Amino acid sequence: MSPILGPILLFALLAAALAVGMLAVGSLVGPRRNTPVKEMPYESGMDPVHDARRRFDVRFHLVAIAFLLFDVELVFLYPWAVSNKAVDGIGAAAPDLPFFPLIIFAELLVFVGMLGLGFVYAWRKGLFRWP
Amino acid sequence: MTEALVKVAFAIGGLMTAAAYLVLLERRMAAWFQDRIGPNRVGIPLTRIRLWGLGQPLADGGKFILKEEYTPAHVDRTMYVLAPISILTAALAVFAVIPFGGALPSLDVGGLGWEHPVPLVVAPGADIGLVYVFALNSIAVYGVILGGWASNNKYSLLGGLRSSAQLIAYELPLGLAILGVVLASGSLNLDAIILSQASTGTWLAFSQPLGFVIFVVAAFAEAARLPFDLPECEQELIGGYHTEYSGIKLLLFLVAEFLHMITAAFLIVILFLGGWHLWGLTGATAETNWLTALLRTAVLLGKTLLVILFFMWVRWSWPRFRFDQLMAFAWKLLLPLGLAHFLVIAVLDQIRTYVLAPRLGETLSAWLLVIPGVGVCIAAWIVVGLTGPRDSTRPRRPGSAARGVSTA
Repeated sequence: MSPILGPILLFALLAAALAVGMLAVGSLVGPRRNTPVKEMPYESGMDPVHDARRRFDVRFHLVAIAFLLFDVELVFLYPWAVSNKAVDGIGAAAPDLPFFPLIIFAELLVFVGMLGLGFVYAWRKGLFRWP
Repeated sequence: MTEALVKVAFAIGGLMTAAAYLVLLERRMAAWFQDRIGPNRVGIPLTRIRLWGLGQPLADGGKFILKEEYTPAHVDRTMYVLAPISILTAALAVFAVIPFGGALPSLDVGGLGWEHPVPLVVAPGADIGLVYVFALNSIAVYGVILGGWASNNKYSLLGGLRSSAQLIAYELPLGLAILGVVLASGSLNLDAIILSQASTGTWLAFSQPLGFVIFVVAAFAEAARLPFDLPECEQELIGGYHTEYSGIKLLLFLVAEFLHMITAAFLIVILFLGGWHLWGLTGATAETNWLTALLRTAVLLGKTLLVILFFMWVRWSWPRFRFDQLMAFAWKLLLPLGLAHFLVIAVLDQIRTYVLAPRLGETLSAWLLVIPGVGVCIAAWIVVGLTGPRDSTRPRRPGSAARGVSTA
């Protein structure tokens, strides 16, 4: 196991154990007094009319899709941001391409430009309009 | 593994204690802002010693445990129990890669101690630390939406939906602001990010003030603190996704919420405010002696505490956003600003790497970038001020209000 993964897994495991342990202690110590009213969903004292799991606004779905698009494109930018400083070394390895860093940077501009176009399109289509 | 176990125990114990006492601090701050006294009574039980209310968190914890552990009949039991567990586990596990200071130098006291310097982070050298932090932060969405869905309550469902939309919307500007940091420091390792700021002495809040502002705003939204606490909003949704939770399960949600705030404060300090670095006090290299090691931890935790106090200050200073304002703010303001800022920083970084740094050296070129950074921030401020929504309560020009009435 890698020296990083071990401590992280240990941490996550102990944190989960703490959460489960607290729940267990709570259910052992606390009292239990059940009444029919307690079984009902709390809706400010009104009797609930129907099940809560009904249709909801489709905009939440659209926002989720927009998020997926932009977040994935954002993730693609991270490797570039990290390796940006190393591009120099690659340029030295390819002496027939003296403007190698500039080419890489131009590619980034094209990528972000397309991202921007998509953003403008989504905006014009009213994706971000919330009545 | 022993070393890791000791660190994990310290981290979890410290964090849970910190969360408990920050609740007390927040209540005392709230009382101070609202000109009342706040919880100052609970001290040592069965005596008259009050200790300025320092016993309050313990009493609160005891109360939570002794309350009825109740699962209503109308919920989805598995999801209902899983939600608080997952949210607390993720909120704690984030701290596996967050440094709590520099490294402690080696120690030898009569055979006890350690040979190598001990970094004050649970998983030292995690090269994708930043990605890990954001991956686990995103898991908070699962806890919230699971809780809202499983509760089978309309308030909870609405709170969960709103919350998930908010958290994912503000993750984009957050990621864009961080890209600037990654560009400037060339690493995703949180230790390396601090070191790169310390080596030039230029905190990234100076050279990228616009990114700093975007990050702080988005971090407030990710931590679901006022003015972005729409997932809860007591007045409309009676607590939102945790309406149906009680007892220790509610406690898990509340602790996780405070841990999110602590994470956000740590990230603000580490990414933009120089981490453990303070000029002329903590040194600027990875090597430490005992004095600087302790100073670094003190500086980092002190800065974090200041940022947390800022969180609490903001809570009592701004009213809550409306949901459409919240979404418009994320998508129509922060996201384009973040994109523009990222492009400017990318160009500036190219100039620094290939033009300024070889001629002027790293430190001077880093300080020189402060000028365009501040310029970009002011330009963005002016653009937003000119294009943003206007104050509808105030007429733009004399006479324009009268025209509005006549057309209506």
